[in-house]
Amino acid sequence: MEILSFEETKKILKKYKIPFCRTEIFNSQEKALAFAEKIKFPVVLKIHSRIIFHKSDIGGVKTGIQNSEEFNQAWKEISTNSQLKNIEGILVQEMVKGSELVLGMKRDNQFGPIVMFGLGGIFIEILKDVSFRIAPIDKKQAIEMVKEIKGYRLLEGYRGKKGIDIKKLTDLLIKISNLAIKEKNILSLDFNPIMANDKEVLVADFRLII
Amino acid sequence: MINSKTKKLNKFFNPKSVAIIGASDEIKTVGFGLVKNISLFKGDVFYVNPFDKKIAKQESFAKITDIKKNIDLVIIAVPAKIVLEIVKDCCEKKVGGLVIISSGFAEAGEEGKKIQNKIVELVSRAGIPLIGPNCLGIISTQNNLNASFAPLHPKTGNIAFLSQSGSIIDAVLDKSADENFGFSKIVSYGNEADVSLVDFLEYFQNDKQTKVIGIYLESIKDGQKFMTIAKKVSKIKPIVIIKAGKTISGQKAATTHTGALSTDYEIYKAAFKQAGIIQTESLQDFFDKLKALCFQPVAENGFGIITNGGGLGVLAADFCEEMGIILPEISKKSIISLDKDVRLKLLSTKKNPLDLMGDALPERYKIAIKTMLGQDNIKGLLVMQAIQIMTDPMENAKIIVELHKQFPNKPIVSCFVGKKLVQEAIDYLEKNKIPNYNDPKRAIQAISSLIIKK
Repeated sequence: MEILSFEETKKILKKYKIPFCRTEIFNSQEKALAFAEKIKFPVVLKIHSRIIFHKSDIGGVKTGIQNSEEFNQAWKEISTNSQLKNIEGILVQEMVKGSELVLGMKRDNQFGPIVMFGLGGIFIEILKDVSFRIAPIDKKQAIEMVKEIKGYRLLEGYRGKKGIDIKKLTDLLIKISNLAIKEKNILSLDFNPIMANDKEVLVADFRLII
Repeated sequence: MINSKTKKLNKFFNPKSVAIIGASDEIKTVGFGLVKNISLFKGDVFYVNPFDKKIAKQESFAKITDIKKNIDLVIIAVPAKIVLEIVKDCCEKKVGGLVIISSGFAEAGEEGKKIQNKIVELVSRAGIPLIGPNCLGIISTQNNLNASFAPLHPKTGNIAFLSQSGSIIDAVLDKSADENFGFSKIVSYGNEADVSLVDFLEYFQNDKQTKVIGIYLESIKDGQKFMTIAKKVSKIKPIVIIKAGKTISGQKAATTHTGALSTDYEIYKAAFKQAGIIQTESLQDFFDKLKALCFQPVAENGFGIITNGGGLGVLAADFCEEMGIILPEISKKSIISLDKDVRLKLLSTKKNPLDLMGDALPERYKIAIKTMLGQDNIKGLLVMQAIQIMTDPMENAKIIVELHKQFPNKPIVSCFVGKKLVQEAIDYLEKNKIPNYNDPKRAIQAISSLIIKK
């Protein structure tokens, strides 16, 4: 069991039209910085490895990098922490503002592929506020899944905060359901977090297990 | 379309002749329980036991092959180690169906599993369907067939009850003895070596005596097949389920969040929801919902509540909100109709729940029930009653039963709270298929099962 390579992951995401934050993989600090400047700060740096399942635990993630100085510092730290061992490279990713969501898929011995949805951060870690469906799911079931979680009202917007684009979210759920049915070699996947606001719903962190 | 397996299951529930292998006159044995229960059956009964010449004052046979007549149904209750031999005899005899009560097979370990597989091989080759092993047996009330060692014979009714646990059936039979609902079929399906849960679901889909299906479940053999078939059957007959085993099993090594959070129970819950199955939390909730579904029609969302006590109405309304049950406003037209009654006209507010006030006599209930049922967007009704000094429960019960006849497609559930002073009225209601619950929460939970999910 290992994590799908970055290039393969990107291929799958594109094949199923799953929108994700602008991301590239680098081994050269110079080229990475050039890309960061192109997509504009702030950016995120994180390792991509086929065998490291918990990259933040080993200091493999730096968020909110505001300029080239911070970028070089973060690159150095991540390189030291990961010792560049067993990693494919370091990802440079745009930072998107919004609510953190989580989508996932796993294969159950009894029922086959299962799709999961929840809010990110403490909502999933502590409150376990998630909903499940057996794939394939249709539009109606995707809407049910989203409305079923206790934190649904947060997604509708509250106290002047704009809600998220629910349609794009349910579309994404259906895309994951399709992916689960068709890509049988993908054993499970986690999109955590997904950044959602009133205009877009973008996958920020992806882990496809083969 | 009735498939061949469903057709074969007919031999189990409508046999002309039954043989019990391992029949016994010795009280407190399984063999004796089977003999006692089968005595109600009107068809031919044969006993097989090589050690007794006579059982229940009837000739006993040493082997099934010694019986001349054809045998539709064979019940086997002999020690596990000789079951294989007995099954061979049954195959030779070309019996219609086999129920193996004996335990000591797949549930007992590898050795037992091997024997079970051999048995399945034999019966499959012979084309004989098999229920069990490791089960309590089967019951079909309409023809008094009790091919089980249950301690009681159930009342006739229209609930088909499928249970993975035999002891749950025993407990339920005793518990439901005073209830006003009954069973069409009861099946303890044991290890599902051959005939499995989904086969019974398909059979009950077309069974005329069955209106609603109840399942006590611990685990499923084939989840995806179950989903497909349950989805199809639940569109025709409601399926109510109680699932045991909520604990987290071996999720610790999960490599993803999805893996860590998706406990077996969460997945089962999602699967049941997608298959249109009504889920319950306790045996009480399970039978409350089965009772509502076997007595009343289903309806769209939108219920009226009538009460003679504000307290009961508020409790009911709270649970409605929790469970997503819509309480439509009382229409202007309905208010005009209610106002024909002088006392109702004096009510300061006419809202749903409609409080008829503590001094409500039967006439006031009559006007209110008729008016509410007559309103289009009220699809069903809950009639509540707190017993007060002037309340006439029996008369109220009669009014409910009478008015339901005018609106047979709108379900009515009652919540007559009390015991001594209302029992007679409750019995009258339930004998006339109005399910009563003595707690507003139970009444609303039961109503939730009557609402058609869109």
